[in-house]
Amino acid sequence: MATTAATAQERAAELNVLVRKQRSLWQDAWYRLLRNKAAIVGMVVIALFMITAAIVPTLTDLHILKSPTLQDGPHQLMEPFWTPNTQYHFSAYPLGSDQLGRDILSRLLWSTRISMLVGFVPVAIIFMLGVTIGLSAGYFGGWVDQILMRITDVIYAFPDLLFLFIIMATLRNTALGDLQGGLLLIFVAIAIVNWVGLARLVRGQVLSLKEREFIEAARSIGAPSTRIMSRHLFPNILAPVIVSVAFGIPNAMLAEATLSFFGIGIRPPTASWGVMINEGFVVFSATPWPVLLPALSISLVMLAFTFLGDGLRDALDPRMKT
Amino acid sequence: MLKYTIRRLLLLIPTMFFVAVIVFFLAHAAPGSPFDAKSNADKPLPQETIARLERLYGVDRPVGEQFLLYLNNVAHFDFGTSFQRNRPVSDIIGQGFPVSAQLGVQALLVALALSLPLGVISALRQNSLIDYGSLLFATVGTTIPSFVVGIFFIYIFGVWFHVFPFVGWSTPSHWVLPTVILALGPMAFLTRITRASMLEAIRQDYVRTARAKGLREQVVIVAHVMKNAMIPVATIIGPATAGLITGSIIIEQLFTIPGMGRLFLTSIIARDYPVIMGTYLLYAFLIAVANLSVDLVYGMLDPRIKVGR
Repeated sequence: MATTAATAQERAAELNVLVRKQRSLWQDAWYRLLRNKAAIVGMVVIALFMITAAIVPTLTDLHILKSPTLQDGPHQLMEPFWTPNTQYHFSAYPLGSDQLGRDILSRLLWSTRISMLVGFVPVAIIFMLGVTIGLSAGYFGGWVDQILMRITDVIYAFPDLLFLFIIMATLRNTALGDLQGGLLLIFVAIAIVNWVGLARLVRGQVLSLKEREFIEAARSIGAPSTRIMSRHLFPNILAPVIVSVAFGIPNAMLAEATLSFFGIGIRPPTASWGVMINEGFVVFSATPWPVLLPALSISLVMLAFTFLGDGLRDALDPRMKT
Repeated sequence: MLKYTIRRLLLLIPTMFFVAVIVFFLAHAAPGSPFDAKSNADKPLPQETIARLERLYGVDRPVGEQFLLYLNNVAHFDFGTSFQRNRPVSDIIGQGFPVSAQLGVQALLVALALSLPLGVISALRQNSLIDYGSLLFATVGTTIPSFVVGIFFIYIFGVWFHVFPFVGWSTPSHWVLPTVILALGPMAFLTRITRASMLEAIRQDYVRTARAKGLREQVVIVAHVMKNAMIPVATIIGPATAGLITGSIIIEQLFTIPGMGRLFLTSIIARDYPVIMGTYLLYAFLIAVANLSVDLVYGMLDPRIKVGR
C-alpha cells in the first residue's frame, strides 16, 4: 500500500502534476477536529487543567502556593481580591479563604488533580473491561454473550446515581474506602457502574462487523481469533468507543463532585470541588465565593469536555452531524 | 400488544428481585452496627443497648436469614419499621413520595411547555439568532450539572435579590427555584431532540407532497411535520422522566425538601436498612415503568414499529 502510494507520487512528480498527499481516515478526522473552534477551545482548557494538575505539588513545595490544608485561624472567610470589601491580601489570599482560613486558590488548584484522576483512571478501567468483554462477547457469541447480556440487564436495572450512592455509603468505612482518602473506592465504584454501557456498545458494533467480507477474508486465510479481534475488529470499532470515552470522562468527574458534595465522596480535608461546595454551603449566606468558585470550575471543565466530545463525534463520523 | 405488555410487566418481578438481593447484601456489607451511626461521637450508645436494639430489629441474625424474612414481609406488603424514626417505612415513604412526585410533575410540565415551542421555532428558523440561542442553551443546559446550576440560582435569586426562598417546601414560592432547576436538564435535552426531529421530518417526501398539493404552510407544519416529529420526542420523555426521578434526589438535598430523595440519602448515611430498601425498590420500580411505558407508547404512535416480537 505504502509502496504503491509512493510510486504514484513519484510518477506524478515526474509528470509535474500536483497530487494531494494521501491521508488516512484518522488524519482526516484530526483535520476535521482542528477546524472545529469549540473543540479547540475545549482542548486548550483541558490541557490547562492537566498542566495545573501536574505542577501543583511542585508549586506547593516551592511555597509559591500555600498548602491546601493549612489552617490560618485569624484569616477566615477572606473575600477574593475583586470584591469591594476585600481586605486586600492579594499576595496572601488572592481568591480569599474558607471558614477554616484555608487558601481557596490552593484548594481549587489541588482539586483539579482529584478531578483529572477521577476522570481518567476509572475511564481507563472501563475502556479495558468494556472493550475486552464486548469484543469477546460479540465475536464468540454463545454462553459468553449470554452471561454478558444477563449481567448488563441486571446492572441496567439499577439507576446509576443511586447505585453509586449505595456503594459509596456502605463501603467507605471498609479498608478499601480508607485508601487514598476514598479515591480508590471512587475509581472502583464508577468503573463498576459504567463499564456495562461500553461493553454493550462494543458488542453491538462487533455483531454488525463480523459478518463483513474483510473479517471473512481474514478468517479464510487462517488468522487466529485474537488477531482478528485485535487487528481487524478493534481498529474498526474505535471511533464510537473514542466518543463514548470522551463523554465518560466528564461523567466520572461529575459523579465524584456529586458524591463529595453529599459528603460520601472524597474525605475532607482532601480538597475536591465537591468537598469545597459541601463545606462552603454552611457559610453561603455570609460569603458565596467558597461555593461559587469551585462551582464555576466544575462548569468550565464540563463545558470543555462537552465541546471536545461533540467535536470528536462530528470529526469521526461526519454523517452523524447534528 | 396486550401479550407483550403482560410479558414485560412479568419481567419486572425477576428484575426487582435482583435489585433487592444486591442492594440488601451491599447495604449489610458495611462494617459495624447501624446503631453506631445513630449516636454521635461524644456519646456512643452503650454496648448492651446496641445489642438490645439489634435484637429488636433482627439485625443480629445471619444476613441470609434476614433477607428471607424481609422477602416474606414484603410479600405481605410489610416493608418494615425505620430504625431511625421508629415508624413503618410505608408511612414515611407515603409522606415523602407526594412531595417528590409534585416536584417531578411540575418540572416535567415546565420542561415540556418551554422546550417543545423552542425546538419547533428553532427548527423552522434554522441558523437564525433564535436557533443559535436555543442550541447554546441546549448545550449548556445538558452540560452544567444541576446542583451547580442550583447553586448559581440560589445565589442570584435567593441571596442576592431575595426574590425566592430556597429552604423547604412550605409555600408555592418555595416551589419555583427547585422546579425550574430540575426542569432545566430535561428541557435542554428535549429542545435538542425536538429541533433535530423537526429538521429531519421537514425534509421528508410527504412534506414536499403536502406543499405541492397546495396546502397552507401552517397545515403542512402542524399536521404533517410536527405530527411526525413528535414520535422521537415522545420516546425521550421516558428517559427524561427517569432522569427527573434521580435528579430530584440532588435537588431535594440542595433545597432541603422533605421528599423521597432526601429520605433516601439520610437513610443510606444513617444505615437505616428498611428505609434504604423501601426507597430504592420504589425508585427502581418507577424507572423500570418509565422505560416500559416508552416502548409501549412508541408502538402506539408509530405504526412502522412493531413491538412484541
